Amino acid sequence: MPNIIHYRNRCIGCGICYELQPELWRMSKKDGKATLLRAVKKKDVYVLELTRHHVQKSKETAEACPVRIIKVN
Amino acid sequence: MEKVELLAPAGSFDALTAAINAGADAVYFGVEQLNMRARSVNSFLLSDIKEIASRCRKGKIKAYLTLNTILYDHDMQLLRGILKEVKKHKIDAVIASDIAVIEMCNQMNIAVHISTQSNVSNIEAARFYARFADVVVLARELTLKQIEAITKEIKKKKIKGYSGELLKIEAFVHGALCMAISGKCYLSLHSQNASANRGACVQNCRHSYTVTDTETKEELLIDHEYIMSPKDLCTLPILDQVLASGVNVLKIEGRTKGADYVYTVTRCYREALDSIAKKNFSQEKIDGWMKELSTVYNRGFWEGYYLGQKLGQWSPVSGSVATEKKVYIGKGTKYFSKIKIGEFLIEAGSIKAGDTLMISGANIGMAKEKLETLVVNGEKSEQAVKGDKITLPVSAKVTSRDKIYKVVSTIDA
Repeated sequence: MPNIIHYRNRCIGCGICYELQPELWRMSKKDGKATLLRAVKKKDVYVLELTRHHVQKSKETAEACPVRIIKVN
Repeated sequence: MEKVELLAPAGSFDALTAAINAGADAVYFGVEQLNMRARSVNSFLLSDIKEIASRCRKGKIKAYLTLNTILYDHDMQLLRGILKEVKKHKIDAVIASDIAVIEMCNQMNIAVHISTQSNVSNIEAARFYARFADVVVLARELTLKQIEAITKEIKKKKIKGYSGELLKIEAFVHGALCMAISGKCYLSLHSQNASANRGACVQNCRHSYTVTDTETKEELLIDHEYIMSPKDLCTLPILDQVLASGVNVLKIEGRTKGADYVYTVTRCYREALDSIAKKNFSQEKIDGWMKELSTVYNRGFWEGYYLGQKLGQWSPVSGSVATEKKVYIGKGTKYFSKIKIGEFLIEAGSIKAGDTLMISGANIGMAKEKLETLVVNGEKSEQAVKGDKITLPVSAKVTSRDKIYKVVSTIDA
């Protein structure tokens, strides 16, 4: 299954990922940025292996991110 | 005439130092994502506030933090965190438009400047905001006559700001303009889901467009102009009239611009202001400053709406029409502080004796100089290429983050 990758430090906290996919995202109250739930931190990047039923929706989320810091591959 | 304040943009430490060296009275900057340049790659972090405050104090200038995006509930804690740092490091004011920021600043006794995003266009709006703020940045679409009416009324009615002093009025004097009134634009949000009002503008307005007749499918390229891309504001030729309108603070736009831009623009306006104060502001001097201003990034100049123009003047190109450009050639490697010599590694292109070089760095700000003698790998030489190390006199400490550029004329090219 593909991974969803979040380059979190460039997040501007617009909240669209959480709007589209509340099952995978939360808005951090601490720093106002999006947090990818259950993701593993690798250096500054957060990675989560997707289950099949999350793939399509995740691609739409990646497409919707205004600063293009969400990738699915 | 009261002394007006020249306010320069600082999007990086290089630009901050350049602003101080060029004679700014104050700078404004943003941190993290809650400012109108959130997309910018070189934005400051929360942890940079301390260093910014310290550099500004040393440079004897004021520092203002921009916190002027739309805010959501999930931003409140970050907002509080930023304001705590502002308070702790004695940043002079916060530039705000959202009521949450204004309210929180008032509670924490932090001075507020009302952002141009609030679109203040009349005396009653200014009077309203005076209850919370000390400075109001007016909408950029007002004429000087309208501005004068506002500043006169403030004096006449003694409209005082939050601090108890007369309310101050700030106006933009130089830099990029937006096609939308007071930056309230939804074009970028519409096309790429990137809200300009969260600092994520993708600048669709700077592209060229065609109009298609849906019946015939015929495409019309409109007037060969970028009809949504205004030329840049430049009030230098009318700066005496701008001052006569009674404004207290003059703002230069450009937090995404480099140290060379900030230095050149700030310097020109500083000299022009000093010249007006000495009553020797002349056409000849204006011509000289305009030539200088044309060397850095610009989309062509006009004096904005200040003289009563109803429609914007559109840019002839998508990018810059600057008469000079900088070409990256390398980075700093060493500094010999006793003899004030900097060493740079050439990473791209080549340079020869007689070239004009520009250094950008957090300590130097911006320095531009024609290189009469070129010293390559310790010996006098005619040319330096990739892999070579060059040494030259530099007045401030060079670090590995300093960049060196070759300045090239775009007219000959």
